[in-house]
Amino acid sequence: MSRIVSRPLGTPTPANLRAPEAKEPHMHITTAHSTSLRSRRRLRRPAGWAALLVVLALLLAACGGGRSEEKRTDGGDGGDGAASELIDTSGCASDPSVEVTGDTIKLGTSLPQSGLYSAFQEILRGEEAYFRYVNEELGGVKVGGKTYKIELVNKDDQYQADKTVQNVNGLINDDKVFALFNVVGTKNNLAIRDLVNEQCIPNLFAATGSPAWGNTKYPWLLGTMLVPYPLEMQAFVDYLKQEKPDATIAVLRASDDFGRAYADTLKRLVGGTDLRIVKEATYNPEVSDTKAQVTSLAATEADAFVLGATLLACPNALQAVREAGWQPIIYMSGTCTSKTLMNIAGPAADGVLSVGSLMDPNDPRWASDPRMRLYKEKVPQYAPEADVTNGIVAYGWTTAAFLVETLQSSPKLTRLAVMETARTLDVEGVGLQLPEASLSVDEDDWFLGEIFTMVRYDAGKGYFVTEGDVLDFSGKTRSITPPDLITG
Amino acid sequence: MPARPTPLRRAGPAVAALAVLAVLAWLPQYYGSTQTALFGRAIAFAVAALGLNLLTGYNGQVSIGHGAFFGFGAYTTAILMKDHDWPFLATLPVVAVAGLVVGAAVGFPALRVKGLYLALVTLGLAALFPDLVTRFVRGTGGTTLVQIPKVTAPGWATGFAPQDDQWRYYLVLAVAAVLALLAWNLVRGRFGRALIAVREHEAAAATVGIDLARVKVSAFAVSAAYAAVAGSLLVLVTGLANAGRVETFQLSIDFLVIIVIGGIGTVLGPIVGAWLFVFLEDWTKQVFPDTPLLSPALFGVALILFVYVLPDGLIGGARRVTRRLRRRPPPDGTRATPHPEVNPA
Repeated sequence: MSRIVSRPLGTPTPANLRAPEAKEPHMHITTAHSTSLRSRRRLRRPAGWAALLVVLALLLAACGGGRSEEKRTDGGDGGDGAASELIDTSGCASDPSVEVTGDTIKLGTSLPQSGLYSAFQEILRGEEAYFRYVNEELGGVKVGGKTYKIELVNKDDQYQADKTVQNVNGLINDDKVFALFNVVGTKNNLAIRDLVNEQCIPNLFAATGSPAWGNTKYPWLLGTMLVPYPLEMQAFVDYLKQEKPDATIAVLRASDDFGRAYADTLKRLVGGTDLRIVKEATYNPEVSDTKAQVTSLAATEADAFVLGATLLACPNALQAVREAGWQPIIYMSGTCTSKTLMNIAGPAADGVLSVGSLMDPNDPRWASDPRMRLYKEKVPQYAPEADVTNGIVAYGWTTAAFLVETLQSSPKLTRLAVMETARTLDVEGVGLQLPEASLSVDEDDWFLGEIFTMVRYDAGKGYFVTEGDVLDFSGKTRSITPPDLITG
Repeated sequence: MPARPTPLRRAGPAVAALAVLAVLAWLPQYYGSTQTALFGRAIAFAVAALGLNLLTGYNGQVSIGHGAFFGFGAYTTAILMKDHDWPFLATLPVVAVAGLVVGAAVGFPALRVKGLYLALVTLGLAALFPDLVTRFVRGTGGTTLVQIPKVTAPGWATGFAPQDDQWRYYLVLAVAAVLALLAWNLVRGRFGRALIAVREHEAAAATVGIDLARVKVSAFAVSAAYAAVAGSLLVLVTGLANAGRVETFQLSIDFLVIIVIGGIGTVLGPIVGAWLFVFLEDWTKQVFPDTPLLSPALFGVALILFVYVLPDGLIGGARRVTRRLRRRPPPDGTRATPHPEVNPA
């Protein structure tokens, strides 16, 4: 790429790239036939403008029209017949109590499918496999006595928040989706939450564990079943209190809100205990190289190491710990519990603690579980390109199952009814959710994923083994989390 | 001396520009808000590419760091609007001046390095910028995302812009039109001639009295100011400022692709290129929704094709075609499709 670009752009500039002005008589330092140049110059203009017009015409031909069909987006006509105790609908731009006509529920999602974060597109494969299975084998979803097929419109945002906004605008105004489903990324969901709030469109299961999804100003957004990041810290602190109550802790975290959710909660939680944070280091989440930081943390010889990191930084830090000869109890963010990342870390990942609320497809313990068997049978059938052992696919499958569960629990198919249902849901045994881990939210508790287990990676076996009993933190996330992480 | 151009001839470009402007002004009347946002994005990209083209196309200095200037402008506008309640237009002069200053600061090292090395310096800028943002910006939910309050249409504008997104588009268009006119004047005047002279032959340029350092640093400054204002314009369209490493680097490359496709060293080139770029990106997404990698691949192929087949971009290509259609021999005796080796600089 750079070679190709640099050739025409570098100096000296090839003559064929020269600006027209370069050939003006008084500028041409070598030779110039001023008369012929003048005549040539006259001819050039219309060509340029013609090119501009052709491009414009092409663009317009490809875009559908439709200003006249659009509703005003700043009006407030919503919710006349939709008195709701849970959700204030007075400011809605469109009436959320209108029932869906036809026999299809159209959902929209935006997630990275190209670029650095394209690994997340496996989520989509898991989701699509589940929806196809429901549409083809179960006939669709039953809501209020009627059966609907599910259609999922997906758009690529390359993990860039402004493209997510663009995509979601299109999904709402052009595709006219009923609801948004599993939009990936904290910033990406933050960027669209005002929009979905105004339009009163359910944004179900924003796919990150950010505590910001507990902000009560945004009733139309509900987080996913990923364990909220602050709860991970609570689980680990409880673990340390049992195993080593006077442990010193070193922290490596991403230098962003994600890393802060870990470090700030941890600081809050060690208060009043004998646990002590001895050092905190940050790394740039877009570089993923943590060796220098880990080396300085290792010098503290702390008893425990908290890794508030994600993606490639996890295996990178684990290897750095091993190379430094440091042997702390390691806690790693639940976002890193993927087979791919652990394979990169290799033996350095052995014994690492984390949390999980899904059955690991690689764990033989679940091999005979009917829900796991269904997953392993249907994913290859409906999404042959997906890897069933990939936890990201399992996550997509499970959220899709949870959405279907939510829809079927709704008394009727309106945005308001579905959102209210989602906000009061209490279900068990959905998708690959752990048998004991129910998913529940209510008026005061906006967090799913509060029931989970600690897991320990076994490098020899190549999967995460459950460590200890199921932990139930139902309704606790809000009190554990520093308030500004929720309302900020 | 050749005959002076007739008045009609001289008015030609102005009439064409007004016609294009009229079409652009009509767009949000017909098209919905999603497309209008897309058009707004194309215009913002065009402004950034105009700026990059002043530097790269006219002055011959390469920058892979314009995404950073773009992000700088975006954050300046967003923070002024969100934390200090400034109206959008009031932020633009600040952004432009700050862009000039930052651009000049980056331009000084450019006096010492050229070509590939300059490209690396600016690449470093693109790499550094997201770190600065992560360190100093605390936006929504503790992230680096800064969202602006909604810009709504004033009462007197409801006649032609009843919806807010239409009003925002017109603001973007108006600012861009002024900047395009400014660029057009700039490259036709003394400054433009100096830019080109420095690009073509520094020693010769210095001999005729051009202050090399001043021209090069000014080119950087003006170019950065354009990119910064373009960033502000995109904030108006999308309602947010955001800069990750990916975004900043990607934007820098996007702007380069745009000027190569449109035509380096022309004012119209970046405008055509930006529209084509934004349109192609969106079109491939809609027509081939299940092949997300198609769009980047397509641009890669297009770029290679352009470098080989249309090295002077769409505008240059179109000009050569019209010349051929009129069966005029190329004026300086070279082939209609010149190659560097037969027409050395």
